[in-house]
Amino acid sequence: MTELTQDASELTIKEFQEGIHEGKIEGYRCTNCGHQQIDIMEFCPVCHSAKLEKVEFSHFGSVVTYTIQLVAPEQFMNEVPYAWAIIQLDDGPKITGWIPFISRPEDLPIGQRVVFKKSYLPGIVFEKGKTGD
Amino acid sequence: MRNVYVLSADTTKYGKSPLSARELALQASKKAILDAEISPADIQASFIANAFSLAEKQGHLGPIIMSGLGIPDVPASTIESACASGASAIREAWINIGAGIYDCMLVVGVEKVSQLDTITATTYFSFGSDFVFEGACGASFPGLYGAIARSHITKYGTTEEQLASVAVKNHANAMSNPNAHFHKRISIEDVMKSPVIASPLKLYDACPFSDGAAAAILCSEDFLKKTGRKSSEKVLIRGSGRAGGTGALFQREDLTTLNAAVMAGREAFKMAGLSQKDIDFAEVHDCFTVAELVAEEDLGFARRGQAAKLTQEGYTKIGGELPVNPSGGLKAKGHPVGATGVGQVVEVFEQLHGKAGERQVEDARIALTHNVGATGGSCGVHIFELT
Repeated sequence: MTELTQDASELTIKEFQEGIHEGKIEGYRCTNCGHQQIDIMEFCPVCHSAKLEKVEFSHFGSVVTYTIQLVAPEQFMNEVPYAWAIIQLDDGPKITGWIPFISRPEDLPIGQRVVFKKSYLPGIVFEKGKTGD
Repeated sequence: MRNVYVLSADTTKYGKSPLSARELALQASKKAILDAEISPADIQASFIANAFSLAEKQGHLGPIIMSGLGIPDVPASTIESACASGASAIREAWINIGAGIYDCMLVVGVEKVSQLDTITATTYFSFGSDFVFEGACGASFPGLYGAIARSHITKYGTTEEQLASVAVKNHANAMSNPNAHFHKRISIEDVMKSPVIASPLKLYDACPFSDGAAAAILCSEDFLKKTGRKSSEKVLIRGSGRAGGTGALFQREDLTTLNAAVMAGREAFKMAGLSQKDIDFAEVHDCFTVAELVAEEDLGFARRGQAAKLTQEGYTKIGGELPVNPSGGLKAKGHPVGATGVGQVVEVFEQLHGKAGERQVEDARIALTHNVGATGGSCGVHIFELT
């Protein structure tokens, strides 16, 4: 029987969320095929290997798509308007995050450079990057 | 697999109801049983399609509904695939009857959410996403489809007016559907002027939170014969397709397509031995206006990026080449989550029997339903034929 124990290579939801508040973006890399993903997972969706390692990703990325939330879930009610975005991190997988104080589409072109910000606000906070980020 | 038929399909009115899920489900089930001219005792098993019954402090709907139908000993389980619960339940019943396990089953989809305030309901709907990474990170359910719409606009040049044209068409169709949530004709301008909820989507791009139930009796050919009916003039499930996708939208490569819908559509068409041009009309999952366009492209009715133009040109209106959502769709008929996929079958049943009144699609013989869970984590596609 395969024994199920948590080892250092595994990421729990709690660790991921605590990591975000400590300024770390953690996820998985498949040691067999190199696929990277931010998720809670046991097998690689590309090669189905179980050999996954926990890795830390870059804080820099670009906006793939987004929405500006004017009606938000409970935890975010007091933050509207803000942008919720899907972000391609420079060295790997996509991640979601929210960017405070965005109220108009003109303020956030697709491809906008963004940077992850350590924060005690709920969720994963990004802000618009400066030139050169 | 044996042939599986839809013997009857009926619905409550969709909208805001003072009744509980249990009562709504019983009403729809009673109508379907009486329409089918069978006894509840003929039902051998049942699937209940439901997503949010715990919001009413009630789980385990199956035995309660069976008890109310006077058949407490009949096995009944809830099938939950978020907004695709209905098609998933139809699919599972089709498998059970097709495999010869049962000859007669009741599928009933139901939802009751109008007791929740808008913020709570919005939060509940976001539970259908990958909540840890999306809902809890600030995305409402409309926000996820807002992100899909932004991708579609960026990749194909789709305009907000074109999105609005979907809502205008579906509201017009619902005008003659007595069971629809909305009976309100709207204009492009009305949509464009409605408040933004999750840009680029506005209030009138979104389906409502509806209460309601829909039920269908599915059976084998043997059961049809036993009831003394011919299999002619009966609705055959000619193709069934079901697929999954990542629960999280953000992990996907292409945000302008739902791969689960592409795969489920291919499976259903292949099984039916039919192609897109054989379909007389389709009921698709337009939870937001953009979703109807994505559905038409995923199912192969429109080339990528072309669905918006086809809608604007009237291709998908009643009387057009391929009427889409003659019922009014989720947008205007309403979206009682668990009931939606079963309700699509109700529209198919009425249309194929020529009983859809003013919204009748002329000479409809073959129809397709497409029902999506959340942002495409689940999809079920069925093709029905009047034999």
